[in-house]
Amino acid sequence: MLVFPLGVLWVAAVVLSLLDGRRQRVGYLAVGALTISVIGLIVLLIDILNNGRAEQVAGNWAYGVGIQLRADVLDVTFALLSVGVILVATTYEVLGRVRSRAFPALACFMATGLIGLSLTGDAFNFYVFFEIAMIAAYVLAGYGERTRQLRAAIIFIIVNLLGSVLFLISVAGLYHLTGTLDLLEIQRRITIVDQQPAILLATMIFVAFAIKLGIFPFHFWLAAVYTGTRPAVAAMLSGALANIGSYGLIRFGTTMPRELEIGAPVLLALGSVSIVYGGFQALSARSATEVLAYSSIGQVGYILIALGLGGHLALVAAILFSIVNAVNKALLFLAVPLRGWLVGGIIAIAAFSVAGVPPSSGFFGKLGIFRAAVADDQPLVIALIFIGSLLSFIYMFQIYNARFWEISAEESREGVVPTPIARRSLVCVLAAFVIVIGLWPEPLIYLSEQAAIAVEAGG
Amino acid sequence: MTLAYSLVVAVLFGTGAYLLLKHDLIRVAAGVVLVSNAANLFIIAAGLSRGVVPVLPIPGGESVADPVVQALVLTAIVISFGVSALLLSLVYRVYTSHLSLDLEDLSGADEEESEQELASLTGRSIGTGRGA
Repeated sequence: MLVFPLGVLWVAAVVLSLLDGRRQRVGYLAVGALTISVIGLIVLLIDILNNGRAEQVAGNWAYGVGIQLRADVLDVTFALLSVGVILVATTYEVLGRVRSRAFPALACFMATGLIGLSLTGDAFNFYVFFEIAMIAAYVLAGYGERTRQLRAAIIFIIVNLLGSVLFLISVAGLYHLTGTLDLLEIQRRITIVDQQPAILLATMIFVAFAIKLGIFPFHFWLAAVYTGTRPAVAAMLSGALANIGSYGLIRFGTTMPRELEIGAPVLLALGSVSIVYGGFQALSARSATEVLAYSSIGQVGYILIALGLGGHLALVAAILFSIVNAVNKALLFLAVPLRGWLVGGIIAIAAFSVAGVPPSSGFFGKLGIFRAAVADDQPLVIALIFIGSLLSFIYMFQIYNARFWEISAEESREGVVPTPIARRSLVCVLAAFVIVIGLWPEPLIYLSEQAAIAVEAGG
Repeated sequence: MTLAYSLVVAVLFGTGAYLLLKHDLIRVAAGVVLVSNAANLFIIAAGLSRGVVPVLPIPGGESVADPVVQALVLTAIVISFGVSALLLSLVYRVYTSHLSLDLEDLSGADEEESEQELASLTGRSIGTGRGA
């Protein structure tokens, strides 16, 4: 049960890497495998919501010897989110024309890594799956193979390798400090070990995940990569791969609560700077993808702020906002290059969602953080959320304005060439999803609540 | 022993980090290799204990060397090997298409490419950046 969504994709990825991914049929195979995996994850999620945490040791080894798989609500929610985004992005690319034979296989490998790191209960396996997803992403960043993609791939690989190495060192350090790699055991033992080295390790883990997310002082790679890669890949990187960062921060933050509390002022400060910096950079960006890239830096600041506020309400808000943000970003990166009827509406929906205007899902994401800030009595944070939303409102409608209200010289001469209807309707479905969540947010709020309760209860 | 390990790890990591800041892509790749090997060595150092080989049967009363870190470092070595190979192939790809290994040249070529694109989309201040 626990292995199924992971295994399907793993097998599919290996098989697909032998086939020529440029054929549309092969592409649909990848879409099929991803769909099966998503269905498996939904079944698993319903099972866990009813029966509590699922655990399994691979290969029938004794507990503590074999590879441990463990899934609570938070794990499956993030796995579902990541694979869902990859499914949409892959379908988007397959509906057009896949340019590289490895693309479907790499998408499956990335999904495998992302499911694996969510479902594993062991810090080192977390690293291994993390690397599987990252290596697939390194190759995907070069997808397209023009100068811009190559440059993006080189920057991406170098910066993120450094992040991975930092994470590996901190995993080794955690093992040295606590004598175990099991995340639940670490959570139990971390409160009784020496605090100085634990703070050092927590800082390194934070830096590693902050690089993945692109939080302010670690954002330097992000703009070049997100603007350089192709839209489907950018959607995967920002909507699925960046979840490693948010999931990792939430997971390891709750594993080391004492260290999180000490670091809270730093999280609040960096989160605030990210929001303001990302907002102003987005305002002055010259292309739509650049606006989106800087907007990503701003949006992840809210996750940091929620974590920095601390407490149950803030944790729920952090989870909810991470989910909403990933869907928004995927939607935007896929929608911006489109042309033709309906696209304006889609962009408007996404823009409302990023700015946090009802009835889009972004409203509830920000509302949660707002409530946590009010409950914690932090007027500065409340003011910041307002400023951040205002900035995002302005830059999102700058895109809208430039793309749909001012017709460029070329377009008035040659007329707009609309994108094929299949792609547009796919993105339309995603936009409808954003609206549905906004109109009927209870399931998602319930899910975030349960996820927060699960991590607070331990592992 | 711990001191020796920490010194070696520090020197390896420091050298690697210095090389990472260079413009020349081969040096950057070498830096990546050094940094990831510093991490591998660190893993070994994290479980440094004296004892007999951890193979059953263990002679009674003897302490056993920690086998976990060795399993970990094997996996980590394989991963860092794979990533280094990938990075080198990417660097080679850059070399074949630009006949240069300088990151600055690559950014220059990128800027030219985007300026050409901008020129073809005259009159548009904000666009997709790469066409639909």
